[in-house]
Amino acid sequence: MSKKRKLMKVYPIEENCISCRYCEVACTMVHSETQDPVKAYKLEGLLPRATVEVKGAVSLSLMCRHCKHPFCLDACISGAITQDEDGRVRLDEDKCVGCWGCVLVCPFGAAHPHVERKHSFKCDICEDRGFPACVEACPNRALIYDFER
Amino acid sequence: MRYVIIGNSAAAVGCITGIRKVDKENEIVVISYEDRCYSKPMIADVLIDYPDEKLLYRDKDFFEKNNVTQILGHKAIKINPESKVVILDSNEMVPYDKLLISTGGVPFVPPIPGREKEGVFTFTELGSAKKFKKYIEENGVEKVVVIGSGFIGLEVAYYLREIGKEVIVVELLHRVLGKALDKRGSEIVETMLREKGVQFIFNNTVEEILGEEKVSSVKLKSGEVLKTEAVVIAIGVRPNVELAETARIEVNRGIVTDNHLRTNVPDIYAAGDCIECIDITDGTRKNLPLFPLAFEQGLIAGLNMAGKEITYLGGLPLNSLKFLEKPVLNAGIVEPPDSTYEVLVNDKFEKRGYYRKAILKDGKLVGFVAIGEIDRVGILTNVIRQKIDVSNIKERLVSLDFGLVDLPEEWRKEKLKEDKTAYKDWRPVG
Ligand SMILES: Cc1cc2nc3c(=O)[nH]c(=O)nc-3n(C[C@H](O)[C@H](O)[C@H](O)COP(=O)(O)OP(=O)(O)OC[C@H]3O[C@@H](n4cnc5c(N)ncnc54)[C@H](O)[C@@H]3O)c2cc1C
Ligand code: SF4
Ligand code: SF4
Repeated sequence: MSKKRKLMKVYPIEENCISCRYCEVACTMVHSETQDPVKAYKLEGLLPRATVEVKGAVSLSLMCRHCKHPFCLDACISGAITQDEDGRVRLDEDKCVGCWGCVLVCPFGAAHPHVERKHSFKCDICEDRGFPACVEACPNRALIYDFER
Repeated sequence: MRYVIIGNSAAAVGCITGIRKVDKENEIVVISYEDRCYSKPMIADVLIDYPDEKLLYRDKDFFEKNNVTQILGHKAIKINPESKVVILDSNEMVPYDKLLISTGGVPFVPPIPGREKEGVFTFTELGSAKKFKKYIEENGVEKVVVIGSGFIGLEVAYYLREIGKEVIVVELLHRVLGKALDKRGSEIVETMLREKGVQFIFNNTVEEILGEEKVSSVKLKSGEVLKTEAVVIAIGVRPNVELAETARIEVNRGIVTDNHLRTNVPDIYAAGDCIECIDITDGTRKNLPLFPLAFEQGLIAGLNMAGKEITYLGGLPLNSLKFLEKPVLNAGIVEPPDSTYEVLVNDKFEKRGYYRKAILKDGKLVGFVAIGEIDRVGILTNVIRQKIDVSNIKERLVSLDFGLVDLPEEWRKEKLKEDKTAYKDWRPVG
């Protein structure tokens, strides 16, 4: 268990974040049918899986940490949340019943509720795409894609 | 080495997950008198004919992949710790090296006269939910009395309205969810349910269930008689400790375990609704029958059973009222027990549809309620869990955009840069 897992994920670097929210836009877009940032939000009702937090001069973009101990897994009553051998935490939106258990326990606020659609959603490390769109979109290297520490 | 798990639900799945993190080889056997691994919190969905396969919590694939043998449809009736065997109702003997008891809870049924009549149900198992549904259909039931306004009672009432039945909830206290939610929260929940058409009778209880073979009415403590065609008793659950007692395992408010989830009998562990655990908000030992806790305890027990020493951090009571249109979430202490607690409220329910409340003691968050807007409230849950000092950012706790930027930079560094997210990393800070 203490041995390092071979998992790559997205790391925020708060010193570099300029709160431009490009990551949020890119995230919504690549997870949409239309692949269009405006339509994704307005027509498909999609929301970003990364959250940009701002307080005074500090800002950072935050998404699912694929925790070594994922509290969301403990709380998931439907079986929608699972953890792969390599540590990746998956959330199957079709299996999810919108009990909001994961929202209630995620220490990073990274499992989000989509109340209208009755399911939650979170960062999937762009597994369909191969490389995280937020990292690509960030203009200031405030997000990097790296092996787990 | 052979692991045996009695029970096939949240704690059992947690335990399998824990064992397999350490030990990929040795045999695991799961025993349950029920026929599948379904999601208990979802059983009220049978009332609205939710497809059976969707109620599955873990499918066959999960058990196959994890190399688990399931013995289903058989009840374990005795544990013999001397010869280390579990005896089933079929007389089969199942030997174990390490045993987990996760027998869950049983519904509490007070000795109300008439409780044995046809048409009186409890609602804690898929089987009982299905029997109730069948009875409704076969008898053309249009009117139901639900005794108790806890989470289960309210959920049953809600789904009965969903299929057009008349429902009266009878509650001993003066408000719904009296033990789980604060006053304002329960007022909001009551309003939402009344809008749905659920009726309530408070400060009252059912004294007798009347009828020939079948229920035809109930008599209340106040003397009033309500006509009804069915009764659901949902007063609460109590730990199912019957099997544990056959092995002379110590029981208090549930099976007693140490901080490695071991019972007082060697090689027997226990987890889930059947145990007594430490409530981390007040340090007392109690029975906290909640899904996430059951899974977590199972996981920690499993790790320990497989030889990885790991300390259970205790249980945090938390709840999500999952069936209403507006989410209702809470964790920890929701009503201050005395004046040493501080309360912060952000109540915009009427105008903007949300309500937030935080309860603090000595500069630490000990509980919260979030209704309507719930995104990211898990950060608050963890602030309780890790006992992070929030005396400087009190007002922020009830703000909708409370986030990690409000927490100490040191915390963010450890969690985000160094990936300190293993179980032990969630211990209280300092
Ligand atoms: C209607 C309803 C709604 C709920 N909603 C929520 C919710 O929204 N959120 C939440 O946190 N919790 C909720 N709960 C509580 C939650 O379901 C439990 O906390 C959780 O299921 C506990 O898991 P467990 O593994 O300890 O035991 P259980 O789920 O109770 O499972 C016990 C297992 O043991 C087996 N068993 C028992 N005795 C024996 C024996 N002698 N031999 C063989 N097998 C045996 C049973 O067949 C079963 O498989 C709800 C419960 C109900 C009934
Ligand atoms: S959703 Fe939250 S708890 Fe679950 S793995 Fe991601 S960060 Fe961890
Ligand atoms: S909201 Fe969905 S994913 Fe989250 S815990 Fe509930 S069922 Fe699981």
